[in-house]
Amino acid sequence: MKNRKQDITRRQFIKKGAQDAGLLALGSAVFAGTGRTAGAASAGADVNPFAYDVGRLRTTDPKLIQYEQVGVFRSPYPEPRRIAVGPEGRLYIAAGNYVSVVDRDGARVSEIALPRPAKCVAVAGDGTVYAGVKDHVEVFDSKGQRQAVWDSPGKKAWLSGLAVGEKDVFAADSGDRVVLRYDRSGKLLGRIGEKNKERNVPGLVLPSPYLDVKLAPDGLLRLNNTGRHRVEAYTVEGDLEFFWGKPSMAIDGFCGCCNPVGLALLPDGRYVTSEKGLPRVKIYSKEGAFECVVAGTESFSENWRKCSPSDCTTGGLDAAVGADGQIYILDMVEANVRVMARKKQA
Amino acid sequence: MDPKPEPNVSRRQFLRDGARAAALTGLGGLLGVVAHRATAKGFVWQIDPQKCVRCGNCATHCVLEQSAVKCVHAYAICGYCQLCTGYFEPEPNDLNTGAENCQCPTSAIKRTYVEDPYYEYTIDEALCIGCAKCVEGCNRFGNGSLFLQVRHDRCVNCNECAISKVCAGDAFVRVSADHPYLLKTMSHGA
Repeated sequence: MKNRKQDITRRQFIKKGAQDAGLLALGSAVFAGTGRTAGAASAGADVNPFAYDVGRLRTTDPKLIQYEQVGVFRSPYPEPRRIAVGPEGRLYIAAGNYVSVVDRDGARVSEIALPRPAKCVAVAGDGTVYAGVKDHVEVFDSKGQRQAVWDSPGKKAWLSGLAVGEKDVFAADSGDRVVLRYDRSGKLLGRIGEKNKERNVPGLVLPSPYLDVKLAPDGLLRLNNTGRHRVEAYTVEGDLEFFWGKPSMAIDGFCGCCNPVGLALLPDGRYVTSEKGLPRVKIYSKEGAFECVVAGTESFSENWRKCSPSDCTTGGLDAAVGADGQIYILDMVEANVRVMARKKQA
Repeated sequence: MDPKPEPNVSRRQFLRDGARAAALTGLGGLLGVVAHRATAKGFVWQIDPQKCVRCGNCATHCVLEQSAVKCVHAYAICGYCQLCTGYFEPEPNDLNTGAENCQCPTSAIKRTYVEDPYYEYTIDEALCIGCAKCVEGCNRFGNGSLFLQVRHDRCVNCNECAISKVCAGDAFVRVSADHPYLLKTMSHGA
């Protein structure tokens, strides 16, 4: 019987087989690569359906911002907490274990060493410096020589703000939720802001240590009752006169657990408030009506970031006002001072 | 030559006693293993609250129908805030318990008036799905007293936890079953 003629030779069969195997392998590799890429893209595109969206609060309506930055300089030391303006327009910055004295451009003039981290500072008209560490006040003359170390008000004391008048010194004690009134020699004269039904004082609510105090030109004290999201005015004897402020994330309110964290007063008696969480500095009228923004949340990206993922209680801002109306904003996270001036067209 | 002494035990007895001794030894060993397992429980999954980035994966990737991850509340560090950013939407219409003002998708947070201006917030674990929306609000603007934990009354302790594989903050860790929770005891800024 005659063999049927083969359609392909052995060589052709092997060659075609090798080609098919190569194509199969290539196809497999491409398919696997595509699948992996698609999977990675899918993973990257995952959107959190439960996201807590506050992105729209990161920007401020430009029409509301009526100040512009005209300068910026570094804090002499890290972890600044408060800033004050003293005689001759010099700035006093409580940062690290020092109160640093700088001129308006940030050039260091002198510094006062403290035994513990400085939490707050106030300067009298005669140049006397009152520096608060966590649990007591230390007094220095205008040349930086220590004059006195006052007794601690107690174990829970956490001083976070100071103000000085002609005869009195006021220390904001966040730990004990009270403002202590001293005479200039350190003698305790009174306690302000404590809950007292008979005097119709509701008490200070302070989830975090940011109680501040300022003595206004009208002779009344201004306190930031942060847990109630408002500013309260007291006589130096401790009578509550009025208050303003509301809890809200909107631009005219104060948000989070505790705001505003800092107070300053313009020469005409209007308020400059500083906040954390949504780091921003705003101006309110003497009656407490929102007027404008000095610097919005978008100006303090590091301060905003500090609150995410988990450290809101160490962020925040403070502000002080110069005699010329310029506002100095102390950023506690970036450790710098921004000099803000009112826009000419505003 | 004296006759070979009679053995004390027969071959059959020897084998029987040997088998009994082996069985007892095995039983003793088994009891020892059981006793050891009863005292050392091994390891379980838990979330390190300091690493958690509130990505939402705990709510969607657990093998259980409702996640074993729940929000827990450290009352000792809570501010009992009137404007609780864990409880309220970022921009609520009003600070009351209206559903439109609350951000929990399952209404698992209960708000109770204590005294002016304090409110207590409690978690209903039967409703909580572990989405961490409240945790993000509390951490971003508050004291961080709300945080997530794997609840071991319902976790099935998979060898390879499905959430841990996708955890964006690499916050899932194995901890001793004798101390199965990683609780916050002080606020993050303290």
